[in-house]
Amino acid sequence: MRRAGAIFREQWFFLLIVEAALAVITGLINPRFFGLNNIENILEQVSVLGLVAAGATLLMISGNFDISVGANIGISACVMAMMIKAGYGYAPSVIVGVLLATFNAFFVGASSILFKAPSFIISLACIGIFRGIALAFTKGVLQLIYGKFEFLGTKRFFNIIPLLFIISIAGYLIIHVILKYMKLGRRAFAIGSNVQATYLAGIPINLNKLIFFIINGLLVGAAATLLLSRIGAAQPSTGNGIELQAIGAVVIGGTPMTGGRGKVIGTFFGVLLTGIISNALNMLQVNPYFQDVAIGALIIVSLAVSAFSQRGTRGV
Amino acid sequence: MLATIQNATKVYGQHRALSNVSFELREGEVHCLVGENGAGKSTLTKILSGAITPDSGRIVLNGVEHKRLTPRQAIELGVSTVYQEAELIESLTVADNIFLGDERSATFPLVVDTRAQNEKAAALIGSLHLNLREDAVVDQLSSAQKQMLQIVKALYREAKIIIMDEPTSSLGLEETNSLMNLIRDLKAKGIGIVYISHYLEEIFEIGDTITILKDGESMGTFPIETIDMETVIRKMVGRDASLFYTKEAVEIGAVQVQLRHLARRGAVQDVSFDVRAGEIFGLGGLVGSGRSELVNLIFGADRRDSGEILIHGRTVTIRSPYDAVRAGICLITEDRKKLAMFTPRSVVENVAIVHNERYEPPVLSLRAERRRVQDMVKKLSIAVTDQEEQTIAELSGGNQQKAIIGRWLLSDATLYIFDEPTKGVDVGARAEIFRIMVELAKAGKSIIMVSSDMPELMSMSDRIGVMRGGRLTHILDRRGVTEEMLIKHFIGVLT
Repeated sequence: MRRAGAIFREQWFFLLIVEAALAVITGLINPRFFGLNNIENILEQVSVLGLVAAGATLLMISGNFDISVGANIGISACVMAMMIKAGYGYAPSVIVGVLLATFNAFFVGASSILFKAPSFIISLACIGIFRGIALAFTKGVLQLIYGKFEFLGTKRFFNIIPLLFIISIAGYLIIHVILKYMKLGRRAFAIGSNVQATYLAGIPINLNKLIFFIINGLLVGAAATLLLSRIGAAQPSTGNGIELQAIGAVVIGGTPMTGGRGKVIGTFFGVLLTGIISNALNMLQVNPYFQDVAIGALIIVSLAVSAFSQRGTRGV
Repeated sequence: MLATIQNATKVYGQHRALSNVSFELREGEVHCLVGENGAGKSTLTKILSGAITPDSGRIVLNGVEHKRLTPRQAIELGVSTVYQEAELIESLTVADNIFLGDERSATFPLVVDTRAQNEKAAALIGSLHLNLREDAVVDQLSSAQKQMLQIVKALYREAKIIIMDEPTSSLGLEETNSLMNLIRDLKAKGIGIVYISHYLEEIFEIGDTITILKDGESMGTFPIETIDMETVIRKMVGRDASLFYTKEAVEIGAVQVQLRHLARRGAVQDVSFDVRAGEIFGLGGLVGSGRSELVNLIFGADRRDSGEILIHGRTVTIRSPYDAVRAGICLITEDRKKLAMFTPRSVVENVAIVHNERYEPPVLSLRAERRRVQDMVKKLSIAVTDQEEQTIAELSGGNQQKAIIGRWLLSDATLYIFDEPTKGVDVGARAEIFRIMVELAKAGKSIIMVSSDMPELMSMSDRIGVMRGGRLTHILDRRGVTEEMLIKHFIGVLT
């Protein structure tokens, strides 16, 4: 009985309703919204953000942030593009790119532990480091690989489902399995809700924090690969701003900034909602500048919703 | 009359923190409050300072009755509290702290006239014959000087009533003496002082009046000349027999846990004792005597400077709780909200966490976990409606405590340490927790129990270790121990 009622208390369920309503309204005004092409377009657009947001969900649940992921995507994508251009082959290039992204995330986590500083600030500093190194590598030149590494970005199963989206779903699934079925996930929730109590339960804090960052790095590496394949070029500013979109989507999905709670399915619908809103505004021919305004407003609204719903449950 | 409190009562849930207590304070009087930990001394002073509102009773300050006294009103009416942990801005000077929020400016508005402030501060400090420089930065001061600064600050705010809660607990002999002199000066100025202390010698030195509290009730107010130390101690203890339990007899086996010369600078000094299988070793003492510090040391939550821990005769290396848990030691902490509970998480996750860490593979079997927790919930009769949906925060205090105990019962250990196991739980849960402890003892486990609750300490312990000033001063056998004897050991008055 309780189970049936439980769904109405889930953030993702509300998001689903909002998304359906948005889709219907947009579709009524502009029927092209429901065109196969457009839906595929939306799915492709949210794929890269999805991988980044899935990683951010794990980090934020454990009370950490990595806002250097955008710059991390930039440097990894540049290195991959340069290697492909230089003829190193796709597999070695992708492996090096993903490893680099993972190392960068590890560097953020390790510095935060070593210098006992909040990961938010450390990763803020790392944005400059990563982007600066990327600029030095590329000398600021756009790395074009048109027609070379398109397989990932353009492949569609049965000519319908983009491979990008499948990979993105795989990212969500990995995080979902960790959070729901693995000791690692329990540790993330425990650390996010009470570090001291976690330590006193005999769980090493720093080691686990490092693992969360490394997992995030792997997902960021995957995101960089997909992005490169999709746009066929890379420059140091590639990935700019995706960290804030990802954090926004996680918050919209119901994971609080304070950690200790959250579900990856919420993040999935949070990412989808930002994708649908951008697309709908396009379809309705709203000035694209207002897309950012809309996403920003959405984050505030979702924070307000969770503030009010928490007020309701307090004292139960 | 500076202040009168009549028939004040304060109830927290089922716990009567204060019950029908009356209290008076005159100009130039040092009125001492004595009683064991949790007797209601702090509750009474917090009513006077407006920090808590009593459920019933009258508060009269300077002849005016206050129905709802707020901390701000109390300060404006001249009630000032000197805390053990000074509420001062560490990076500012003594004078800056005195004038904080009330800065003097001269030529330019908004620009502080440091010179004028320093002169006034120096005059004020001088009038009290204190060893304190007005331009010293506060983080350079000793804890005694910080306390004096708080008193100076109170005087500058024209305090008429100063509450001192254990002011000498962190002071040396010389500093205590100068505080006593300062109090005499304050008396001469007509200021009323509420003085809380465990040190009866001080009270007989400085006090005019003494009120003895026990379990939230007043055992009477006496002029200090009419009473002696023996009588005070007798009135602090002497509880009804109904508060004591008869613990089921458990066979006590061989020595299982040996603690050798444990020490941590500034907290615990050279503590050694053994605990046998099936034995409950109680740790008693005043607040701040080093009991919690000692158990944190054993559990590896704090690093120890020296010492050795042996379990089953073998030395175990404990550098962190991680090591302790794997060596078979567990600690049920005193502050469960801060140190044990994962507030937003479900009962299942809260109970299963230690077991999962120790025994389960990286991927959990949710079904096995559910069953395991269900069995524990049943065994400890924890009142839960839905262990997966309900967060631990939604349970009552007693059930939260039982859930945390369940967490540790799911992990096999040799030594179970309970720090104030029944703090903030209702009577029913209390009996349950005692039953769990006896069952652990029967299963041959060793138990160390820190408790500030005399009946609990005396009923449950097989032996009682007395801590004072970071040392284990005595180990007493439960048989033949009286409350009076214990409190004398705690305070350090041995006749």
